[in-house]
Amino acid sequence: MGVKSFLSLEHTNREELRGILDLARAHEEGRVGGTLAGKTVCLAFFESSTRTAVSFELAARRCGADVISLSDKGSAIAKGESLIDTVVTLDRLGADAIVLRHPAAGAASLASRHTAAPVVNAGDGCGQHPTQALLDLYALSKALGGFDELAGRRVAIIGDVLHSRVARSVIPAFTEAGIEISLVAPRTLLPRDAGAWGLPVLSSVDEALDRGAEVLYTLRLQKERMTGALIPSVGEYARFYGVARRHLRGGTLVMHPGPVNRGVEIGGDVVLDAASLVPNQVAAGVPVRSAILTVATGAAQRVAA
Amino acid sequence: MIPAPTDLVIRHAHVLDPGTGLDGVTDVRLTGGRIAEVGGNLRGARELDADGLHLFPGFVDVHAHWRTPGREDEETIETGSASAAAGGFTGVVMMPNTDPVVDSPVVVSGLARRIERESRVRARISAALHVGLKGERLTEMRLLKEAGAFCVSDDGLGTASAGILRNGMTYARSAGLPLILHCEDHTLATGVVHEGVAASLAGLPGSPAGAEDVATATALILAAETGATTHITHVSTALSAALVAFFRDRASVTADTTPHHLTLTDDLVSTLEGLYRVNPPLRPDADRAGVGEALRAGVLDFVATDHAPHASEEKELPLEEAAPGFLGHETAFAALYSELVLTGKLTLHRLVEAMSCAPGRWVGEGGRLAVGETADLALVDLSERWTVDSGTMISRSSNSPYLGRTLTGRVVGTIVGGELVHDRTGAKLGTRG
Repeated sequence: MGVKSFLSLEHTNREELRGILDLARAHEEGRVGGTLAGKTVCLAFFESSTRTAVSFELAARRCGADVISLSDKGSAIAKGESLIDTVVTLDRLGADAIVLRHPAAGAASLASRHTAAPVVNAGDGCGQHPTQALLDLYALSKALGGFDELAGRRVAIIGDVLHSRVARSVIPAFTEAGIEISLVAPRTLLPRDAGAWGLPVLSSVDEALDRGAEVLYTLRLQKERMTGALIPSVGEYARFYGVARRHLRGGTLVMHPGPVNRGVEIGGDVVLDAASLVPNQVAAGVPVRSAILTVATGAAQRVAA
Repeated sequence: MIPAPTDLVIRHAHVLDPGTGLDGVTDVRLTGGRIAEVGGNLRGARELDADGLHLFPGFVDVHAHWRTPGREDEETIETGSASAAAGGFTGVVMMPNTDPVVDSPVVVSGLARRIERESRVRARISAALHVGLKGERLTEMRLLKEAGAFCVSDDGLGTASAGILRNGMTYARSAGLPLILHCEDHTLATGVVHEGVAASLAGLPGSPAGAEDVATATALILAAETGATTHITHVSTALSAALVAFFRDRASVTADTTPHHLTLTDDLVSTLEGLYRVNPPLRPDADRAGVGEALRAGVLDFVATDHAPHASEEKELPLEEAAPGFLGHETAFAALYSELVLTGKLTLHRLVEAMSCAPGRWVGEGGRLAVGETADLALVDLSERWTVDSGTMISRSSNSPYLGRTLTGRVVGTIVGGELVHDRTGAKLGTRG
């Protein structure tokens, strides 16, 4: 039974994406269940998280797995145990999958070199957050009428791309699904060599809409980066990079990985508007992570058989 | 400890010293720790058959971290000097960023005594330019010199403010101490890898090349202004090399670059492995090529390894958390011979000049293969291919960026003061009855 780590989406092809999304739908519709019965899923969170941790735990339990949860408070992690030692411990305790959140890029790939269990990257530093990008793709394809409806759509990724692990997973996954991406951010919030992605860089939400963007995917701007050297003020940021009600015309959709800073990335009156997929993204968390854990542990082959 | 010298004749080696013009197969007699005779058909009580091997002046490395005092679990004077000897180095300058920092006369004199007892090669001490390497108070440079310091350095800290650096350089000049400067502006060098394509795509915090260039320009301008004898270490960008060239005739300045900046590039950081973190960071190919061209042209005077051992628990970490630094001694010649000489980018003459003659001149000893000179030599098999393996490292640590790579050219014998301090010559050393 082959296991499969989810470290990044940089080498995941279109058919693999479609397969995971199809399986997520089967989970959501209750057509599959109990895929992880008798398995142990370990959540190792070296960085605090609410929605990702909760959504993984629910997903694992709904699939019938036992769940062990280590967080940075009150565990060996808090006592300064190294990443490798924690992973080896979980491996020897019989983990069938390790879900890892860590503040440094590359932590998931380092962990995967020290365990035979599949590692699911639940966000590492500014590196990758593959499960977020997959649930985004799921929520968007559902809103548009199916996976094949994604091809040719125009999505603007807006905001702090520099520090965003979400963007680094969304860019390759959305591109593989046939989506045309543009980046909208001040240069101080873009990686120096963002050009390596080969994507157009635009200067405001308005410009993105003028160029035909149908989906405005906004990224979280951490509070500590709001004032000071990277952007001059929240007001100026919101004026050019915030999504406001005036931008919602002709079916424009709005996305955000959460948690939203209302009035910064998205206007307070837009977050829960019909145009907003933010609640749908949260709802996609459990079925998509169920599908990912099912594929990761090799249980998907049983489902297919 | 350097053993008492006895006579030794090295026979049939291809002797190469760009400094003296020697380039051909001949014999060399070592007597009393010095080179006594160079010529054909020399015989002696002890003979080393070096047929098929090259004999160079011993290499000199002005940048090494032997982690003593404080981190003897990573390297000691004994293991560091054995590692240097295994790489053909006969002279080394030890950097001051230890624990405690080498910033007081008592630490310098203590180190000097331990070097005498434990080092296989000629080790010199670089003391700190500022107390605690904090970039604030000047160290007691004249007392440090009396205690045995050879030079002063800010390595391990990087560039203090220009004003503080200027005072340090001015005082070092009056103390008669050369400076080795690590040029890095901390307001720019906020990342862990080079700020380039690999860092952008991987989401790793980057430090721009400008962090080095701004600090190099500052150091060079102040060298010109203060008249201090200034050595810029581990130049890793094409622009910094060009700045050194500009100041060549305007200041008393020399510069080195490292084997890793000459042979490796920042695409390695896309592996996300902590092993590949180093300061200054690995750069893009354009910088690697630019630095290589500067070394070829003599704009950069020589090579230094920045040998920086780290325990495995400091390297087997995500890149952002790993300690910066690579082992350097044991792979330096082989990496440069394989990647630069065999590819036609650098002549063997220039490589020997950059590893032996030029750094030897800088420290004032070694780097010359001529009658009357100190018998510090490296014996090298240019045809041996070998794979770099953590199990066979002589250093106490194993954080080499070349692990797993097969290199060509291997040091088989290192002679300090006429005695073999590293010996892989096997049966070739015979005693005539």
